[in-house]
Parts: sequence; C-alpha cells; structure tokens
Amino acid sequence: MQPLIEWQAGTVTEIRPETPQTKSFTLALPKWTAHRPGQHYDVRLTAPDGYQTQRSYSIASAPEQVGELELTVERIPDGEVSPYLHDVLVPGDQLEVRGPIGGYFVWEVGLGGPLLLVAGGSGIVPLMAMLRHRAAQRATLPARLLYSSRVPDGVIYRSELVQLSDRDHALELFFTFTRQAPEGWTGYRRRIDEAMLTEVIRPFEERARVYVCGPTLLVETVANALVRMGLPTELIRTERFGPTGS
Amino acid sequence: MERIEADMNTALMVDGNAVAGELQRIFGRDMTMAVARCAGCANEAEMGALMAFTRGPGVVLRCPACQAAIARIVETPSAIYLEARGATYLRLAAQS
Repeated sequence: MQPLIEWQAGTVTEIRPETPQTKSFTLALPKWTAHRPGQHYDVRLTAPDGYQTQRSYSIASAPEQVGELELTVERIPDGEVSPYLHDVLVPGDQLEVRGPIGGYFVWEVGLGGPLLLVAGGSGIVPLMAMLRHRAAQRATLPARLLYSSRVPDGVIYRSELVQLSDRDHALELFFTFTRQAPEGWTGYRRRIDEAMLTEVIRPFEERARVYVCGPTLLVETVANALVRMGLPTELIRTERFGPTGS
Repeated sequence: MERIEADMNTALMVDGNAVAGELQRIFGRDMTMAVARCAGCANEAEMGALMAFTRGPGVVLRCPACQAAIARIVETPSAIYLEARGATYLRLAAQS
C-alpha cells in the first residue's frame, strides 16, 4: 500500500527570486519522501478565523536533493495563495504542505528517452525537476527543451539551464519569445506552432517521450499539433495550469 | 477536435492530475494512473488525463474525447460527495 499523504509543516530555509514574477521556496520537511520528477505538492494556508485555502505547486527540485523540497511559484496578482508566499513568507516560517502527489505527469531516467520537454511560462517548473534529475543521474539520453516566454526576463532558471546544456551535449535548448525577444535574437519569436515542433523533434524521428506543461491554451495547441504529426498519444503527457496571469 | 481558442471554459480547464490530492484522500492511493471508461462514448483515459474544472463549487471531471461529465466531487463541512455515474468503471492496477 502507498502511505496516505498527510499534511506536514515544512520550514522555509531559502527564498530566491527567479524572475520579477517568480520565486523559488526551499522547504525542509520533517517527513520528506523522495518524489518522482513532475509530481506536485499541495500548499494550504489557514487564516486566523479558520478559513482554509489550498493550491497545487509543481516540485522544482530533483529527488536527489534529499530532505528538501523546492517549489517555484509565480505571483498571480489576484491570487489567494501566491501573493502570501511572495510578499509575506520569510525564511524560518512554517508552511503546511502535503505530497508528493500525482503519478501521471512524471518522468524518471528509467523511463528512457529521447525526451522532448515543452514549456510555456512557469510550466517549466516540473520539467526542471526532470532535467535536474537527469543531470543528477548523469544520464546521457538525448533531451530537448522548447521553452516559450513572453519576454527575456521572464525566463525562469535561465543561467542554470544554459550551464546544464553547456556541459552536456545531449541536452539542447530552444527558446521562443512571444512578446519581446532579447536584442539581436536570431531564434524563434512566435507562439509554439506545428512548424516549430516539427523542427525541434526532427532528430528524434518523431518518436520521443513528450511532456508539455503551461497555460491551458498552449498545452491544447501543442498536444493537438503533436497528435496531427502522428506521435503516439501514449507518449504525450500534459499538465495544464489554467489561464495565464494576464 | 477543433475548439475555439477564446473559449473561457477551455482556458479554465486543467488536468485530472490537478485534483490528484483530493482523489488520493478519497481513495487512499494515487488515482492519476487509474483508467476511467466513459459511460457516454466508451473512451478510456487515465484519471490524470481527464479534463478537470476546479473553479466552481466542487470539481467536475470530463471525458477528454466527448467531454461528458465522468465524475463530480463536492466537499461539505461534514462529508465528501463523489458522484461518478459518468464512468462505466474505474480500473486500478493491483497493488503489490
């Protein structure tokens, strides 16, 4: 039997800004269990009057980071939970969490590749857990990341991604910018479409394990395009996180 | 399966994976890999791949093929209601 997942109080050990809209929160957990990359934790806040609200946040850290959990959270201006995490929480505070949760949107080195990861905005977070896990395991299976951002300073984990890719030729990065590209940018500058997916997946001969995470409309577009391109649906895993913030 | 991109309902949709915590609390195990057979069109899909609508008072899980309601989950202060007449069955892998 799997153990029942219970709420536990994690202690915030570090808060790191990633972009103007996102921060990473590292928690030390008293009852830490190894997660599978792609899983999430639920975070619950309780007001003084007893009102409770909860949200699910993808795990950013690899399971190899024992005892700790890193969540990267985008600040949603009219949100109930993310403004508290961004504006109020400080290191040393406690945060109620339960997890790890979910067995559908997961990838481990043992599942093999090649691996195509497609992210929109903060949809990169569970995919980063997969890439960190892949690096920690020194896996050499080919992996490609196609990552769509609106603007250059919205790219989460940019320097770490570039470092990972610099020392690992089997990992290739493809960025696209939908609103404003960096100066002198020669890469993609449009929303992800079928032509872009076809180019990125070509060396894999249209056979890859594909993980798509982002705003619902981006995921719909990508998943429908992949199916039209003839990828077997059982190799495509999606995680939609609803409408975009703006 | 063409949908209108501006359809607000579509934009608000998430995956069954997003309610994995609620499902796990009800069933006592991960349900995202359990297969649900739609009573309307007989399509089979992992619960993690169902279309989930979570912004209402309660959760509605829909079939990704025909969009029929497979299950609804509502929580009151004293009970959890799970209505699943839109599923012919759920198939769970045997646990070792």
